[in-house]
Amino acid sequence: MKQNVSISAGLPGTKAPRGKADTLLRDIIRDKWLYLMLLPGIIYFIIFKYVPMYGVSMAFMDYKPYTGFLGSPWVGFKHFERFFSEPQFGMLFRNTVILAVYNLVFFFPMPIILSLMLNEVRRAKFKNFVQTLIYIPHFVSWVVVVGIFYILLTTENGILNELLYQITGRKIAFLLEAEWFRTMIITQSIWKEIGWGTVIFLAALAGVDLQQYEAARIDGASRWRQLWHITLPAIRSTIIILFILRLGNFLDSGFEHIFLMITPTNREVGEVFDTYVYTKGMTQGQYSYSSAVGLFKSAVGLVLVLGSNWLAKKFGEEGVY
Amino acid sequence: MLQDKTIGNRIFDITNYTLLILIGLICVLPFVYVLAVSFTSPAEVAKGGLILWPKEWSLASYRYIFSTDTLFRSMLVSIYITVVGTFINLLFTSLMAYPLAKATLRGRQFILLAVLFTMLFGGGMIPTYFVVKAMGLTNSLWSLMIPNAISAFNLIVLKNFFQQIPDGLEDSARIDGCTDVGVLFRIVLPLSMPAMATFGLFYAVGHWNQFFSAILYINDSRLYPIQVLLRQIVILAQGSIGDTSIDNVEIQPLTIRMAVIVFATVPILLVYPFLQKHFAKGVMLGSVKG
Amino acid sequence: MKKRMALLMGGALLATTVLSACGSNNEQNAAGGNTDAAKGNTNSPAVEDTAPLELSIAVHQAAEAPAKGNPMEQAIEKYTNTKLSFQWIPNSGYDEKINVMIASGELPKILKVSYVPNIISAMQADVFWELGPYLQDYKNLAAQPETYYDNIKVDGKLYGLPVFRNVGRAALQYRKDWFDESGLQVPKTLDDWYNVLKAVAEGDPDKNGKNDTYGFMLDKNYNQNVFSTLTRLSVMQGGPNKWGVDDQGNFTPEFMTPEFTDTLNLFRKLYAEKLINQDFAVTDSQTVDKAYEAGRVALRISGGNAQSMQSNLEKVVPTAVMDVVGLEGSAGIRVPAESGNAGILAIPKSSVQSEAELKRIMTFFDQLLDKEMVNLINKGIEGTHYTVEGDYTLPLDKDADAKEVKPYRDTLLQRGESYNMDKLMKQTELFEKNNKVVTENEKYVVTNPALTLISNTFTERGSELEQMITDAETKYIMGKLDEAGWNAEIEKWKQAGGSGLMEEYKEAYLRNKK
Repeated sequence: MKQNVSISAGLPGTKAPRGKADTLLRDIIRDKWLYLMLLPGIIYFIIFKYVPMYGVSMAFMDYKPYTGFLGSPWVGFKHFERFFSEPQFGMLFRNTVILAVYNLVFFFPMPIILSLMLNEVRRAKFKNFVQTLIYIPHFVSWVVVVGIFYILLTTENGILNELLYQITGRKIAFLLEAEWFRTMIITQSIWKEIGWGTVIFLAALAGVDLQQYEAARIDGASRWRQLWHITLPAIRSTIIILFILRLGNFLDSGFEHIFLMITPTNREVGEVFDTYVYTKGMTQGQYSYSSAVGLFKSAVGLVLVLGSNWLAKKFGEEGVY
Repeated sequence: MLQDKTIGNRIFDITNYTLLILIGLICVLPFVYVLAVSFTSPAEVAKGGLILWPKEWSLASYRYIFSTDTLFRSMLVSIYITVVGTFINLLFTSLMAYPLAKATLRGRQFILLAVLFTMLFGGGMIPTYFVVKAMGLTNSLWSLMIPNAISAFNLIVLKNFFQQIPDGLEDSARIDGCTDVGVLFRIVLPLSMPAMATFGLFYAVGHWNQFFSAILYINDSRLYPIQVLLRQIVILAQGSIGDTSIDNVEIQPLTIRMAVIVFATVPILLVYPFLQKHFAKGVMLGSVKG
Repeated sequence: MKKRMALLMGGALLATTVLSACGSNNEQNAAGGNTDAAKGNTNSPAVEDTAPLELSIAVHQAAEAPAKGNPMEQAIEKYTNTKLSFQWIPNSGYDEKINVMIASGELPKILKVSYVPNIISAMQADVFWELGPYLQDYKNLAAQPETYYDNIKVDGKLYGLPVFRNVGRAALQYRKDWFDESGLQVPKTLDDWYNVLKAVAEGDPDKNGKNDTYGFMLDKNYNQNVFSTLTRLSVMQGGPNKWGVDDQGNFTPEFMTPEFTDTLNLFRKLYAEKLINQDFAVTDSQTVDKAYEAGRVALRISGGNAQSMQSNLEKVVPTAVMDVVGLEGSAGIRVPAESGNAGILAIPKSSVQSEAELKRIMTFFDQLLDKEMVNLINKGIEGTHYTVEGDYTLPLDKDADAKEVKPYRDTLLQRGESYNMDKLMKQTELFEKNNKVVTENEKYVVTNPALTLISNTFTERGSELEQMITDAETKYIMGKLDEAGWNAEIEKWKQAGGSGLMEEYKEAYLRNKK
């Protein structure tokens, strides 16, 4: 990384560099205001994020609240070994990864498509109105969303199931059948978060130069072509950044949501790391064990973020850092 | 804005509008349900089913809510931490994001990587509590604003937005004698209103939804924001999350729970329409030309 | 504190620089926003006074936290000569908050905890005072039945006082009007149960012409914890409460007993014939309650009072009549015993350092069970919450009671009418009948022999093992597992630690017995 920095050091407009140290000093002096602006943020991250980082050590101890970090015994990789050798590990890993992939494939593009659709709307009032409607579900908690799905889909007088019965003559236990579990989770996620997800893309789209569209129209470009050549490139770097950052939380499944949807009959596909950790950590007080699982998830996230960022840069994108 | 009215365009527009209306309706459904139940009489609700319009109107739930001062007090707390907290967030985040958007800044990559790292690894609840306590923030509302002054996610995305502002504009300001700080506040921020509105919204919603830090850092229940009460009333009623050994919590009727949801959600819902004008297309260009 | 100041000052400084950054000073406002941040929270240390005892108490928050220094608190303070400061912690973060409090040593003098692995290990590590030896010196505390204390002991030692609650709350509540009209009898044997449930589900007791009634409904927690419907029914039929133990100390889990298997088979049959709700595995208790309150179900086993159901039911079906009886099976009344508490009030050693102070706090607890306090905590303040009429007291304001009295009733020591209450509260007949069933139940409770036994397997994977079996029960009832499948699940349970659990319980049991 050091090398990267020094490569970008030779700037146009500055005099030819004499020595490395010399340039460094000159650059720092030139950017003194920028560094001063960085200061509060750096202090913030050190105090509130890096100082507590010693808590990671919990994963390598048998932590108890009353003995604390100093008094709890070190146990090395005991918790990791236990985690990887659990009979459920394979199932948890598979369920979590499948759900994560579904999320990236089906959920992630949805807000982008919707913002592109909204972007094509020329009537500002209509656009604002639709925007306001679609972002509401974000504020409805999972408990309520799952409750509404129950009312719609239960086999005991659920509205949609009754309708299905009228049409096809049979009911489907959407909420119980294992094969429907992932579809339900993704559908609910899309329903709740699609509108909220558009906010950031609409902000990115607000920066597009309108003259580009006019020029394209004069050249006779169709709506699809304009979308492809002007609109999408304008939000491309935002999409890439969000995608990379999402990979960092790849193994996070949204505990509350999943927890509310799991039933004895769909647990074999529904149980994920997050719900497993809840049972372990919350109901049984195994902090160190939960913390070890958390660390594993983070490590996977780190590899994915670094990998995807490297790839993005390879393709000439800015990436995250 | 002249639009060539080809048939293709027409079909495109009609499909697009229809789809959007449909999505809008589906999305608003849960809230309509919540709203309708909150205005329905408990007896009607007991019959079950999906209620989208109250058959028997009742204001009993709201009467109950307004009969207690707790909800109003926590509402004020929520508004306070949301307004002040978001201001702190935007100030700190943009101050940090701007320098990081400068490709020539030495050490930039290292700092960005360090920030990214905090998104993936955290020390956890107890060490963070110790820090907040050591800073003397516990039991004050600052504990809900300072420890989350900058979100790494927002910082990184905002940095990305800043990068897309053409350098030319900033250079001209610098020639006029502004320092980098001046450029940020006089040129960059006004040009980034959509971004500011977006991240302001993200932060505001984040503050509004805080409940766990409040329980953790604050002992005086008079300082609890509205979400703590909402969780207390709504989530526990479902009996699925939380301490199952506590089964004698009083469960409020569904109508009251829904009324509390409405009461606690409407203020933050109102924020977005006010921000919308900043999302209008071409804001950036307009402000520069004008 | 200093660091925080520096941080804020830095921020403010920067904000000011910003404004002068462009040399022109036509914009000198805006940055004043974050100045009053430095205001510290000065918790002035109270001057030590010998008179009233300063008592900080951390408990679960009821619906709303009562205001500090309200009349209830004043009355308790006056009687017990204390200065109370309650810390009401919302349920959604209670466990975490307690952990943080323990970790940071910021414990109050009295802390409400639950009997869970985490707290048990803290008790074993002597985080709290052992109260057992002191109990005899306090007349009210010593007068309470041993069971309440035994049920929260750890290795035979008592580390807190139970927030008392009846041990046998479960009662059978049913629609008397439907039963009378169709000439049905309250079911006793499992066959009776099947016949009654079939009659109600296939008949049309509410006469609305629709096939929309059930004899009984389950919710998704139907087989969880002490409230398990399966356990209650199987205990009624003579089965054990969660665990059976024989003379040699051999432990058998309930699901390996014939009574339990019969109960399970009953529900399997009911499910197959669509005589219970088909979606019970996803239905929360709220939804089921709604169905009961809408007058669509005939029977239920509940720990609540039949009167509250009657009141709710009347709003929808004015002619409905509820009645209540004890859980009587073919072998007479048998009720699974609950733990007999709604939490434990423990005294941390780090905050109460001297034995003298401990004794002072024990006196406080003891005083809570004096007549005056029993009245206050149960009924509130005379004239505000209740009034005396002859040999009874009458409630005055239900809402005020729920807001002002209930928080204390739920968290402090009291045994309701069972101890030291001179005048009973006038209630409806049904309410009193239900209360009587619950009091009588105490004679018939079947205890869980493994309740206070400590097992490493349980601490490490107890909830996992339990989940394996409860999941299998649901699948079996729904017909997704056949008998062979169910037996295979039991085998799997044994392999995954169940056998170890049985052995460890046996060891602990025999050790305690000596």
